[in-house]
Formats: sequence, C-alpha cells, structure tokens
Amino acid sequence: MNRLLVSPAPHLHTKTSTMSLMRDVVIALLPTVIVSILFYGWREIMILAVSVISCVLLEYLITRFLLKRPNTTGDWSAAVTGVLLALNLPATSPWWMVLIGAIVAIGVAKMTFGGLGQNLFNPALVGRVFLLISFPVAMTDWGPVQGFIGGADAATGATPLGLAKEGGIEAIRNLDYLNMLYMNIGGSAGELSAIAIIIGFIYLLARKVIRPHITLSIWITVFVFSGIMWLADPSAYTDPIFNLLTGGILLGSVFMATDYVTSPMSAKGGIIFGVGIGLITMLIRYFGSYPEGVSFAILIMNSTVPLINKFCKSKKYGR
Amino acid sequence: MKKTFSIGGVHPADKKISAGCSIEVLPTPQTVYISMSQHLGAPATPTVAVGDKVKAGQVIGEPAGFISAYVHSSVSGTVKSIGPRPDLAGNKVTHVEIAVEGDEWADGIDLSETLVTEIPADNRFIIDRIKSNGVVGLGGATFPTHVKLTPPEGKKAEILILNGAECEPYLTSDYRIMLEKPDQIVIGAAIMKQVLGGPRTVIGIEDNKPEAIESVRAAISRLQAKSASYSGIEVAVLKKKYPQGGEKQLIDAVAHRQVKSMGLPIDVGAVVQNVATSLAVYDAVMKNRPLTTNTLTVTGDCLPADRQKNYLFRIGVPFSFIIEQSGGMPEDAVKVISGGPMMGKAISNLDATTVKGSSSILYLTAEQTVRKPESNCIRCGKCVEACPMGLEPYLLNKLARNGMMDELEQNAIQDCIECGCCLYSCPANIPLLDVIRVAKGDVMRAIRARSAKK
Amino acid sequence: MTTTIIWTIAILSLLGVVLAVVLYLVAKKFRVEEDSRIDEVEKVLPGANCGGCGNAGCRAFAKACVDAMNLDSNFCPVGGNDTMKKVAAVLGLEVKEKAPMVAVVRCNGTCENRPRTNDYGGYSSCRVKAALYSGDTGCSFGCLGCGDCVAACQFGAIKMNPQTGLPEVDQEKCTACGACVKACPKNIIELRNKGPRGMRVFVSCVNKDKGAVARKACSAACIGCGKCAKVCPHGAITVENNLAYIDFTKCKLCRKCVAECPTGAIHTVNFPVVKPKPEPAPAAKETVVKEKPETKEE
Repeated sequence: MNRLLVSPAPHLHTKTSTMSLMRDVVIALLPTVIVSILFYGWREIMILAVSVISCVLLEYLITRFLLKRPNTTGDWSAAVTGVLLALNLPATSPWWMVLIGAIVAIGVAKMTFGGLGQNLFNPALVGRVFLLISFPVAMTDWGPVQGFIGGADAATGATPLGLAKEGGIEAIRNLDYLNMLYMNIGGSAGELSAIAIIIGFIYLLARKVIRPHITLSIWITVFVFSGIMWLADPSAYTDPIFNLLTGGILLGSVFMATDYVTSPMSAKGGIIFGVGIGLITMLIRYFGSYPEGVSFAILIMNSTVPLINKFCKSKKYGR
Repeated sequence: MKKTFSIGGVHPADKKISAGCSIEVLPTPQTVYISMSQHLGAPATPTVAVGDKVKAGQVIGEPAGFISAYVHSSVSGTVKSIGPRPDLAGNKVTHVEIAVEGDEWADGIDLSETLVTEIPADNRFIIDRIKSNGVVGLGGATFPTHVKLTPPEGKKAEILILNGAECEPYLTSDYRIMLEKPDQIVIGAAIMKQVLGGPRTVIGIEDNKPEAIESVRAAISRLQAKSASYSGIEVAVLKKKYPQGGEKQLIDAVAHRQVKSMGLPIDVGAVVQNVATSLAVYDAVMKNRPLTTNTLTVTGDCLPADRQKNYLFRIGVPFSFIIEQSGGMPEDAVKVISGGPMMGKAISNLDATTVKGSSSILYLTAEQTVRKPESNCIRCGKCVEACPMGLEPYLLNKLARNGMMDELEQNAIQDCIECGCCLYSCPANIPLLDVIRVAKGDVMRAIRARSAKK
Repeated sequence: MTTTIIWTIAILSLLGVVLAVVLYLVAKKFRVEEDSRIDEVEKVLPGANCGGCGNAGCRAFAKACVDAMNLDSNFCPVGGNDTMKKVAAVLGLEVKEKAPMVAVVRCNGTCENRPRTNDYGGYSSCRVKAALYSGDTGCSFGCLGCGDCVAACQFGAIKMNPQTGLPEVDQEKCTACGACVKACPKNIIELRNKGPRGMRVFVSCVNKDKGAVARKACSAACIGCGKCAKVCPHGAITVENNLAYIDFTKCKLCRKCVAECPTGAIHTVNFPVVKPKPEPAPAAKETVVKEKPETKEE
C-alpha cells in the first residue's frame, strides 16, 4: 500500500490562486484594451506588446540572474503591471519610453522591494509618474493617431481636464457627457471608455477578486467634493459628473487603487484609503499645477497603507 | 431571514455525497482496542485487568479528574492486554484490547427500540446517568457533557443551542441521525433543557439539509402534542456557511451574542451541544445505555457511490476494519481523514481505533489535498475576510515566524478557533494555520503561566 | 530676491538652534543613570545577542553580571572561557574555567535505518509537525528532519545532510549557545562536553520505547538492553525507560560500550580512525565512526 499523506487541517484548499486572481484582472482589463486598440490602432498594439513583454521578461531576468530565486512570472502579476502601464501612457508614446517605464515599474518599484507582495507603491503607477516627470512633453502629447475606427482626428487634441485647466470652465462647455461614457476623447489609452472600465469593474466584483469599498469611496468622494465646489461657484469649478468621467479616475479607482499589495486590508481601511485618493485627486485638479492628479493621489495614499493597516483593524469577534 | 454568524466564513462545496445512504450496523471485528483517552481532559484509568471477562456496556475505565469521563466496553469478551498503542496520530495512548466473544450486554441496559418520552424529574439522577454512561460532546471537542450541563455558581443558561449545522463538507452522520432518530434527538434536547433550568432551546440546522429540518420539526410537533415538557424547542434554519457549527459562531448566529475573548459560552448564557450528543444523552438517560456506539460516515469523491456509507459502529473498532468492511481504500486516495476536511485529523496509522468522537473516514485524492508550494503574500486580505473571529491571519503568520509573542497576544491570536478558513482561502498557499496554531499554543501557555503566578 | 534668501537662511538657522536646545534639555531630563561598567562588560562580549546565556542579549547579560557581582551563574557560552576571563578582569572578579561544550544530535534515524511510514505534507517545521503527530517514521522520538535547529542556529553551525535527512553539527562553528536545543521539539539535541581533542562518546538515540518496538521502527535505535551499562568500568552509563545515557562527566572514553552495543546506537566522534596511536585527531570535521550492527540482543 502507498504511504499515507499526513498534514495539518484544513485538508482542502480554494481553487483561487495568485495566478487566477491576476488572470482575472487581465480579463477585466480586456474591454478597455480592446477599446484602446480600436481607437489607436497599431500604435496601441505596439505599446501594449512592448510593455507586457518587457515587464514579464524583466521580472524573469531579475529573478533568474540577479536574485537567483525561482521564476515568479507564472503568477501573471508582471503581465498585469505591463497592461496597466501601457493603458496609462498616451498612444503617441515611442517604444523606448514604454521600455523605460517598464524598467522603472518592474525593476525599481517591484523587484527592489522583494517582488510581488513586498512593494510599497503600485509598480505601473511608479513607471507612469516617472515618465510623466522625465518626459512631460511626450507624456502629454495627445497627437493624432490613426485608429481602426473613426478618423485620425477622432482621438486627438488636449484632454478635457487639460482644457479646463488652461481655458477655464468656458473651454469645456460643449462637451457631451453621454459621448464621454463610451469615448472619452483625449488622454491616456486606457481612459477612453468609461463603459469598458465599468464592465471590468463588474467582472472583478462578480468574481470576488476585489471588494467595492475602495473604488466606490473614491467615486463618492470625487462626486461629493466637486459637487460642493461646483455648487459654491459653478463658474470656477468643473461639475461632479465631468470630474468622475474624465481623466484617470475610473481606470485608477478600479484597477490601480484596488491593487492588493498597495491597498489596505480591511474594509474600513479601504474606505479611508479611497476617500484620501478622491480628495487628493480633486485638490490637484482644482488647485494644483497638473491638470490630473489620480496617479499622484494613489501613490501618496499607497505610502499611508502600512499606517492605515495598523490602525484600521477588522472587527474582532467578542471584543 | 435565515440566520448566520456575522464575521468572516468561507463557502467550500458541501459535497454531501453519502447523504442518501441510510445508517447500517457495522459488524463487530474479532478484536477491539478501546482507548482510555477518548475525551478532553485527563485519560481514564483502566479498571479491568488482563484476563477479565467483560460485557458490552461495562465500565472499563474511570475518570481521573474533574474533566474526564467513564469509558465502557463496546463489546463482550476477554481483556487481552492493557498498554500503550499508537492512536491515529501515532502517539502512544493506553488502550484496552478486548477479544470479542458473543454479544452479551451488562445488566440494566435497555436495548429495545421503544421510544421513552417520560423525562425523569430528578435532575441529579439525569446528570448522574449522563456521567456514569460516559457521554461526551460529539461535535469534535469531546468535552465531558455532564460538566457542560452543570454551569458554575452564579451562571445561568438562557439558551440551549443544539448544533445540527454539520457545516463541514462531506460529513453526513449528523444528517442521517436527524432523519432517522429525530424523536430521540428532541427528547435528548428536552432532557438537557430541563437540567439547565428550562432555557429557550434552538436546534440549528443549515439550509442545505431541508429534509433534516422537516424531520426534526415534525418530531418536535409530534412530541409537543404528547407532553408539555417539549414546549419551547424550535428549529432555526441557518445559511450554509463554514464554520457555522463552531460553538462561538453558532451562538452568534442563533442568539446574536458574542462570547468574550478567553470566555466560555455560559458567560453569555449559552450552552451548545451537538445533535449526536443529544442522541447519546437520550440513550444514557432513558435507556441507561452507555456511549459505546456512534455514527460514522465513510465517504470521498474517489469512492464509488455504492460504497459511500453511514455506519453505526462500536467504539474501539480499528479504522482499518471499517475500511476493509466498506470495500477497501480507493486507489487514488492519498489521504485518509478522521473528521471533516476542514478540521479533521489526517490518519497516519490506519490500525488506530475509533473513539467516541470519530465521525467519519474521508478519502481525499492528491489533486484535492496536496498543498501547493508557498509563494509571496500578496496582501489580498482574503484571510482577513475569511476569519470568523475577525483576526488578521497574514499578520499573525508574520509575527509568529518572528517569534513576537507580545504582539501576537495583542493581535488576539489566542482567539483563533483553528477552523482553517485562512489557510483554505489563501491564494498564495501560505500555511497560515500551521504556523498560527503552534504560536497560539505558545501564547496560551504564556497567558496561563502568567495567570497562575498571580 | 536677496532678502528672501537671507530670511530663509536666518529662519532655518534659528530653528536649528532652538531645536538643538530642546533636544539637549529633553536628553538631560530623561537621561537614564546606568552603571558605566555595563558598557565596559558589553564591549568585551561577542555581541551575537544569541540569548545562549539565558539573558535577552549581550547587554542584558552584562547587566546581570554587574548586578550579581558574581560570575558563578553567569556564563557566556559563545565567548567561552576567554571572554569570561575578560569580563572577570573588567569587574575584578574570579571566574572558574568551564569545559567547552558542543551540541550533539542524538538520533541516527537515517533514511535506511528508519524507513518512512507516511509522508508529511504540511508546513516544513519540526514544531508544527511535532504538534500534529508522531512523525513520518515508526519512531515517535527521533528527528523530524524539518530543520528547526538549522534555522535557530545563528552561527551556521548546523546543516541538514540531504543523504541522511539528519542535521549535522560543525563543531568548529558551534558555540554551544543552546539555541538548537531549545528549538528541537523532540529534545534530541544535547549540549555535551567537547572532550579532549574533540573526542566524545554518546548514545545517538532518544527512543524510550521497548526494545522490540524501537528496533522495529529504527535499526539503529537504542533498545535499552543494558549491555553498555554492564560493561562500563566507570559507572557512566545509566539505562532508564529503555534508553541508555552516558554521563559525559564520568565517561573516560574507553569505548568498551561501543563494541558491546548490538545496534550501533553508541557513537564515537573524533577518535583516530586507525588503531589508537598518539597522533592528533583530525579535528576539522566530525567523523562518525559507526560500529557495525552485530548479532541481535541476547
């Protein structure tokens, strides 16, 4: 007879694994990826390919040759970082910029901290912000790109947020919000369609990959804060729906702020985290010198996560 | 609105494959080995000598302390040896080996199947019967029942909860007795209710067992029609969620009360008993029949449907005998578990014998049970979400691996009920509970040493 | 422009001065008076903070020495006699020499001697495994092989031998701090006298089962037959609970017991491999000279 296997209880294990969770995130990103490819065509395919391949390859090379540890690319986390980084760049980005972003994201923000689970900041965002600071012109060049649908000028010009910052409230008077829901003109590749992102959000919730606390608290904070400001002075401040639908709020709140590693553990902590992101984003948008602040807001709140985890404990039974 | 506990919990597939198999009586082997350590607390002291003739139901071990219990022979025959023998974990425990001869029962035991519904009025008599017939909790902890039914001075039971949740996947023994012996269970509940001074009595059953809910409800109304002593007993339908049957979780689900850390259920006026214990109480009090048999499920995905069993077995029968009787171990089984897959013990030694608390033989395949290699914690918080005690297993794991005892205590590791939800739900396959269980033992010892010093 | 720069410099300098004063006052107020000798003693200690002395670390040990003003109950196993002499010099005390000790693994349940009876699939830790069950062999006393001792050793002196599945102590690196002794849930590791030129004799088994049971589980087990105790001319061997134990304070290294042991459970270390010749023992590595199992007991 074969020898029996003995181990401590429990003897069963959930089918969910790190790999399956990360794969679900990639699946949830697919609608957004498809929309961005339709709009930006071959250029976007190139950016996605360079970003994903370089992220995965870098992680493989670093674990293999620098850290001499088992290969961890099988957990799909590098692929997720790659897709997110690509979606956070303008479609006009040259390939070498994408590569630099990937090196910063995986090499600096992730692997130097010890790989998956150890990093303090969201790798894709670190990559993006590094590029934004290093190549401010290229990172805000929303120049014409030929997509598969619509003309070259379908996706061109400054972002609505940029317009609002430069030209004030008058510049965005003519925007059609319904139109923004599915094709949000201008901005990073992943910020095109609100509907595509929301489909991904619903998928993540249905698969129990993420909990809604962080995302919803960001949305509510942005809506309420901008609502108060708008009601106080509609001629100086943009309205709440505009603020929710433009820029990276949706992409950031669904896919970046909810990153397991860099977000708080408990539901309560998640709400604090989300409110912080919403507030900082709106402060930057209204009073900062950048037109958009989601990336900065998430990174700033990332740094508070250990503190939030320490003070926001889950409700304990009988205590 | 179906009830359930308020914090955490997981939803493993319930896999009640053997639910449709009615209870069969397991034949008696030629030799049984009766363990002296079948209950929580001090092992019993053997009261027989080698060569003695014993009858079924005769006392062969007496309690060696306040928290201890009588042990009875489950067969008639001759005592062959008394000595250490490895239990299912390979640890040496004193066993009495009895060569079976015939099936003769000790005097005063009512073996008939007639239902006795007249509850004795004398509570002391009832407690005495429960104690002398060696009844222990059959929900897993095997805590002596008579101790649980005599609350300390100044504490009053306000609610008696019968655990029919059977929240562990695969197990069906409680389900079968609720279908086949519901009257006895309800009478047992009424007996315990009377002893405790007549608190509200609730039988909690999960909603994946509608037939059991019906069966017990019918038994309650049958008995209530007969006598007033059965009033105030009801069934609570619980939502299927593991670990619903955990004592603390059940109290939360049924009574919406939470036991304080390091406290006992009686502190919030609750007493929890398993339905199988209730059946044993009925047998002990009404029939004077000692706890010498119990129901056991033989199941597993890799076991063919016709070999799924629910057995009424004599306590002390070796596991290997039951496996043989049910057609042998399936080819692709790599692990044999006594108990459920979430909290049960993996058997390392199939020659070990069944004890009072044995409730199943569960076969698991390599695909189901072999642990995958551990990877980095991704801080997803699934363990925090799953923990029914509201603890942070990821943090406890980290602290335990660094031996940080004070921080472990501050983070309430001593509240851990070892239900396994954290390890079950971890996507990175981190052996959270393995690490936490040992550290919890250390912290508990430190706490006890500290309070002993005071 | 210039005024801004001047103001900035002025304010920052002022701030620096104010904070320095605050820091000075706080430091003065909350200063903890400590015996200066504690610092001096700590300086001569190894600084490994291993806890082998029973104190929380080297500083705690230094404090214990100063508080007691007596070195009888305080000994630094890592630094050994040399360090203790220095400590004694600092405090002006006498110190007794202690014989150097070494950690000894008392189990020879190699894969061949002790066949596996089941497979362990939980977290690879001896403590977790020991809490769960008796182990994956028939012997419930022996080494569990998950390497808790290896993890506990701060000096890299213990390594798992993948061939035997047992830990091996490098006697050159071992400081006898006792961390492995505490880490082992089966109490297999013992601190024993290092012996002259590292020569020592010990029973490499802790199995307390009856002879037949022990032998069935492991062919190298001590079966408690007592032959060694009978043959020992120095009364160093006692047999209790079916297990022989050699008292290293009495053992004169005559090795009569080794020849007598039917299962080869008694091990010798660092004796010259060839017939006894007054030649320095190869002290670099532990060479276990295993006696061949002879005829069965009786």
